[in-house]
Amino acid sequence: MADPPAGQLALSGAECTSGPSKLPRTDLMAVSPQTATLRPYLNAVRATLQAALCLENFSSQVVERHNKPEVEVRSSKELLLQPVVISRNDKEKVLIEGSINSVRVSIAVKQADEIEKILCHKFMRFMMMRAENFFILRRKAVEGYDINVQTQAGGLRHPLHGGDRQGDQRDEAVR
Amino acid sequence: MSKNTVAARFRRVDVDEYDENKFVDEEEGGENQLGPDEAEVDSLIRQYPSVTRLALQAVLKNPPINTKNQNVKDRAEGLVLKVLSAFKSSDIEKGVQSLDKNSVDLLMKYIYKGFEKPSENSSAVLLQWHEKALAAGGVGSIVRVLTARKTV
Repeated sequence: MADPPAGQLALSGAECTSGPSKLPRTDLMAVSPQTATLRPYLNAVRATLQAALCLENFSSQVVERHNKPEVEVRSSKELLLQPVVISRNDKEKVLIEGSINSVRVSIAVKQADEIEKILCHKFMRFMMMRAENFFILRRKAVEGYDINVQTQAGGLRHPLHGGDRQGDQRDEAVR
Repeated sequence: MSKNTVAARFRRVDVDEYDENKFVDEEEGGENQLGPDEAEVDSLIRQYPSVTRLALQAVLKNPPINTKNQNVKDRAEGLVLKVLSAFKSSDIEKGVQSLDKNSVDLLMKYIYKGFEKPSENSSAVLLQWHEKALAAGGVGSIVRVLTARKTV
């Protein structure tokens, strides 16, 4: 798949800021060291996710008729990919663990002072308690990170339904 | 009750050990891999401050992939980080162009390894290198980092 040069990657809505995005990249480097790392950081995370999100449906090798996310179960080393970290500085980083049928993304959010720590903790807790409605959130964050996003192969195929995993197996039987 | 109450040792046998499809990670001995030569790299950085791609090629030789010695791996990583920081932003692209495909993959491995221990300015430098290495190697180089059984 051809990869466009980094400067031409389209920005998603969440990353667009009104001012700096209209400047050419070299100017962005001169603005401030902090904002200068944001775009390369997001691009690096996007590229790594693109590589890690190659998933296929893979039933459990241990229990028949079960389909478990291998990144959670970690039953066999051959099914797991190398975990990879992308860090912007020592406070902000993203850990991406992949496997054959699932990917877990752990995000450490920047918390500059006590009040931000408390706010972040409360907000993440609010979202993680309602993880069932979000489908891709994990109920508990991995040690050292603030929030986890986890998805399975079936989840990518039916995004509206948040992944009808049982449906995948039923489809294959019918075919 | 079962008749055969004497011979129960078969119950303690771990059947999974004898499964012929069981995945065994290859453990190749790599004790003689020492990582890139520190003296050589230092001298190259000092001699040719403007031609840093020679230092880059030197530091990507002899990667300590098979060795289990953590010190060797840490030392190699520190050395690579030193070379990568010595580059000027404008030279990074030329440096990456001068590498062949395997070296780009190796560079990616070192970049991701460097992300794990973020220090003062290392992440900013590594992010720039990541961008250029991605342009040269494509998403495939990242996939090869993720699927490699032996890390640098």
